[in-house]
Amino acid sequence: MRLKKAVKTVFFTEILQGMALTLRSMFSHAVTRQYPKEKRPAMPGFRGMHAFVRDAKTGREKCIACGLCGAVCPSQCIHIYTREDDLEQKKVIDRYEIEALRCVYCGFCVEACPVGAIALTEHYEYSDYSRQALYFDKEKLLDNWDRMMAGKKGEEYFEKFWFPKRDSFRSYDGQAVFRKPKEEAK
Amino acid sequence: MGEAVGEKGFQTKELTVSMGPQHPATHGVLKLVLDLDGETVVKCTPYVGYLHRGVEKLGENRTYFSALPLTDRLDYISSMSNNVGYVNAVETLFGIEAPERAKYIRTICAEMSRISSHIIWVATHALDIGAMTVFLYSFREREWILDLFEMLTGARLTVSYPRIGGVRNDVSQEFLDSLYKFVLEFPGRVDEYETLIDQNRIWLQRTKGIGIISAEEAVNWGLTGATLRGSGVNYDVRKANPYDVYDKVQFDVPLGKAGDVYDRYRCRMEELRQSARIIKQCIEQIPAGPILAPEAHKFVLPPKENVLKSMEALIHHFILITKGPLTAPVGEVYSATEVPKGELGFYIVSDGSGKPYRMRVRAPSFVHASVLPRLSEGHLLADVIANIGTIDIVLGECDR
Repeated sequence: MRLKKAVKTVFFTEILQGMALTLRSMFSHAVTRQYPKEKRPAMPGFRGMHAFVRDAKTGREKCIACGLCGAVCPSQCIHIYTREDDLEQKKVIDRYEIEALRCVYCGFCVEACPVGAIALTEHYEYSDYSRQALYFDKEKLLDNWDRMMAGKKGEEYFEKFWFPKRDSFRSYDGQAVFRKPKEEAK
Repeated sequence: MGEAVGEKGFQTKELTVSMGPQHPATHGVLKLVLDLDGETVVKCTPYVGYLHRGVEKLGENRTYFSALPLTDRLDYISSMSNNVGYVNAVETLFGIEAPERAKYIRTICAEMSRISSHIIWVATHALDIGAMTVFLYSFREREWILDLFEMLTGARLTVSYPRIGGVRNDVSQEFLDSLYKFVLEFPGRVDEYETLIDQNRIWLQRTKGIGIISAEEAVNWGLTGATLRGSGVNYDVRKANPYDVYDKVQFDVPLGKAGDVYDRYRCRMEELRQSARIIKQCIEQIPAGPILAPEAHKFVLPPKENVLKSMEALIHHFILITKGPLTAPVGEVYSATEVPKGELGFYIVSDGSGKPYRMRVRAPSFVHASVLPRLSEGHLLADVIANIGTIDIVLGECDR
């Protein structure tokens, strides 16, 4: 035992073992990503930049001006100003503004919205030099939707992440459970 | 300030050094005022509060539902554990229980965040002491964990994933498969970190016999988590008072003997393996079923499909979001969970309204920061760094 320890002390075995490990990893693939050049796409359901859903039928926003998104927002970054429209006989939004710099991206607004009128897109690179550019009004938000989520992508987004089907009488056949990993061919 | 005449007749006097709040080795904005006699620390005074945001007070002004993102920002490197602790406390208050599947998902998530927190801990602790390679290797695995979090929750750090009465969305098959692959591979990666530092003579010299605290004293200081277990006290909330599904999985609680920096390091490294073991069992056992308590419709947001169709559900939805649960029981509850840092407790007082009357957070980092003078005084200045690392504090949680 003492001899073993002496050998260890003299020959720096533990240091050599560590260095063998670092030497081995020299010949393995690099794991770093050269970020601005190489971009990893965000995972589906990522909570990024805000967008206002444009209704395909009417071509306008879906919002019904109920104000739930503003009520649930933990950082209070959603400002809604509403009025009653006499012509259409309903409540409409005058102004709808999101301060993206205050947002914490919890996604509660999407969860609270009873009609699915707001979304968080998978876009995350939108830094800017002015505060004004990150103060989204209604037009900017609708424009975000057109750029990021229009078409089938938007429908899938709500179906998969924000409208989870969870009725108690439903059967749970399709749910993810453990399955043995396939043996990879060596 | 004491003056003294040294052996060779020099006049020496104590020197007061302010370390922090901007110092790379203090893990955030911790300020230490150190009285030094040569290189020996005579007195160490921690100053906290630089990251105070008033989380407890903010919690009183938000409904139970929308106070959840505040808990993300307590211990921001393992936000999922705080979320789980918070929803467990609120569920105990409301007297509701999450479905079995949701409990399994939460346990998986909490252990994932334990792994990600301990990985950061070993990386920065080793980096502070002088072993840089561990930092580079362990961030490789942390990236993997964060990718898995992103796949499940849609966010990498501030996840806001569990909900009162369950979890937000179901796990996908893709997620379970890749997580299973991770837990099979991860113990090998822990071996790699250990190859680098476990027997390294510099590491041993810097950690063995430093910051010794006996079992009795550790209990008296109120230490919890691996900081306590390094002294050989077998206390783990997961075993002592099991929540979620910790009573259905097998795991060991690693204990140290000497109560020094090295033993606490050994405990946390072993905990990494145990966490992987817990996740593995959870994935193998996870049942099918609902993910949000279906019968607790007074406290849990109704299914979105029902909101679109039924008037009752729509009314519940509006009331729960704007006012919070109207039938919240009057009373108080203390609920503790084992987070990577120690015992995180939420003490919630309810006056029957939709918002908590008082939300007190028992943050392990705050308690641990108070033991820093006890560990550091009498040691060298360089050992203060090792001691800050070993108590594993995050100042976001400490200052709240």
